[in-house]
Amino acid sequence: MSQSDLITIPGHWSFDYTYFAGEAATRFFRELAENRRIMGTKCPACKRVLVPARAFCDACMERTDEWIEVGPEGTLETFTIITTAFPGLPEPPIVMAYVTLDRADTALINLVLGEDLSDIEQAAKRLNSQPRVVARFIDDPKGRITDFSFELLLQRGGV
Amino acid sequence: MSAVAIVGVGQTPYRRSHKDLSSRELIWSAAKEALDDAGMGIDEIDLVVAGVAPDALAGEASVERSGMMGKGKPFVRVNTGGVTGSSTVFAGASYIKAGRAKAVLVFALERMGQATTSQQVFNTIFDPVYEKDFPLTTITMAALRASMLMRLYGYTDRHWAEIASRNYRNALRNPLAHLHLDVTPEDVLESPLLAWPIHRYEACPMSEGACAMVLVSKDRVRTRTPVWIQGYASTSDSYAMGDRIHRPGATLVDLLSLRLSAERAYKEAAVTDPRSEIRVVELYSAFSSAEAMAYPALGFCNAADGPRFVESQLTDPSLPVFNPSGGPQGANPVSATAMVRIAECALQVRGTAGDRQVDGVERAVATGQGGATQFSTVCVLGKDLVH
Repeated sequence: MSQSDLITIPGHWSFDYTYFAGEAATRFFRELAENRRIMGTKCPACKRVLVPARAFCDACMERTDEWIEVGPEGTLETFTIITTAFPGLPEPPIVMAYVTLDRADTALINLVLGEDLSDIEQAAKRLNSQPRVVARFIDDPKGRITDFSFELLLQRGGV
Repeated sequence: MSAVAIVGVGQTPYRRSHKDLSSRELIWSAAKEALDDAGMGIDEIDLVVAGVAPDALAGEASVERSGMMGKGKPFVRVNTGGVTGSSTVFAGASYIKAGRAKAVLVFALERMGQATTSQQVFNTIFDPVYEKDFPLTTITMAALRASMLMRLYGYTDRHWAEIASRNYRNALRNPLAHLHLDVTPEDVLESPLLAWPIHRYEACPMSEGACAMVLVSKDRVRTRTPVWIQGYASTSDSYAMGDRIHRPGATLVDLLSLRLSAERAYKEAAVTDPRSEIRVVELYSAFSSAEAMAYPALGFCNAADGPRFVESQLTDPSLPVFNPSGGPQGANPVSATAMVRIAECALQVRGTAGDRQVDGVERAVATGQGGATQFSTVCVLGKDLVH
């Protein structure tokens, strides 16, 4: 049978969900919205400050209920510059990075805004040198991880 | 505990889509071929283990229902993301080792040809609380690691391109591969940039197809030619990628789960020097940068020597042959890929791999890599019974 003779049946998945963030993430998001603070929780066993905050340490299985403010400055650890559009995902170019905020022991992911992307290779070189960054909040925080993003801090000498 | 042998292998070709086969026909086609290869009927099978990763890739929930074969047997579905295929084999092998089954049919199905795009579906596998608002996908996840490998160890895009080109050219000898492209390293570097530093030709294609195998205990091998599963291990790690960035000796690019799986599987298989004792390696590395990350974890080099190892493995004939099938860059039927690696190793050990056959394969290693690299598997296969 030729390919064009084969019957295909259209399909589409579209379901609505409500995701439950839980108490730890609720407090983390409230701190973002109400105090513009980024919080971590400290594991009593391994002493790591986990960011974003969570209810337990998955390495030690311990509850983590000591809250510690981290950042707003930190170090960009690794990144990517998205340059190709994919259906259903935000339009490129987008810089996304893992950043270790000061006083945190783990890195968290967020967007990096304000980069000059006219020369991708130059931008990549700058981003892949563990630059210092700062978290910048949006004007009207809503209690979501998208309430802030990162921006490179100008290095001395103005790179 | 009984030793476990692979006595039957069945694979459909891997293609962008199989419009001529429904999901159940894809499974049946691979399963029937595996049973015929083993010279067995479905009534001789004690257990069926099915591997299917995210349902949304096919747009069919519980698609394993199409893999109900025979009657009156236990049936288990496995989903561990990218290592679904190998976890399925390990589940079947564990039943045999535990004495709960003598002959097991394992299959893995990937039906993503029915999807119009995979990256949107892959975005849904990330954490909905802290991550889903960002364009995290399998591609960007790989890119975040590739940049870190470049910063820490001095890899360049040339290394990724050389690996990808070798995989595509190997796939030219594999009629089951999805892509048959004679791609040079320059072609890779000139292909569109998806997410820095990943170019299109460093990424795997979207493929579908099914793979199946028949596993038996030692006393059921009888007159068949066995490929022995000499050792296998599956290891998990913290899901949180950010938590692994600062972990000493086990950072995001150290693949702790693959290293531990290799150590355990090698020990069970009595492998002490992987560079000389393993002839063929079939890697689940959906991106060429992920392949570079696997070499030190599998004990072929130190992390710092990674870039040099990439260069030498392309020219040094004494080193193992990597991905003679073309690996996932030749075809990546996600749910099945980790089983395909084991099936390809079984064909190599048996000496029936056709044009892609490597000479003198006594022992081969297949890996699996899944999720946000929180799952890794290693399977050592060989001609000899170790225990």
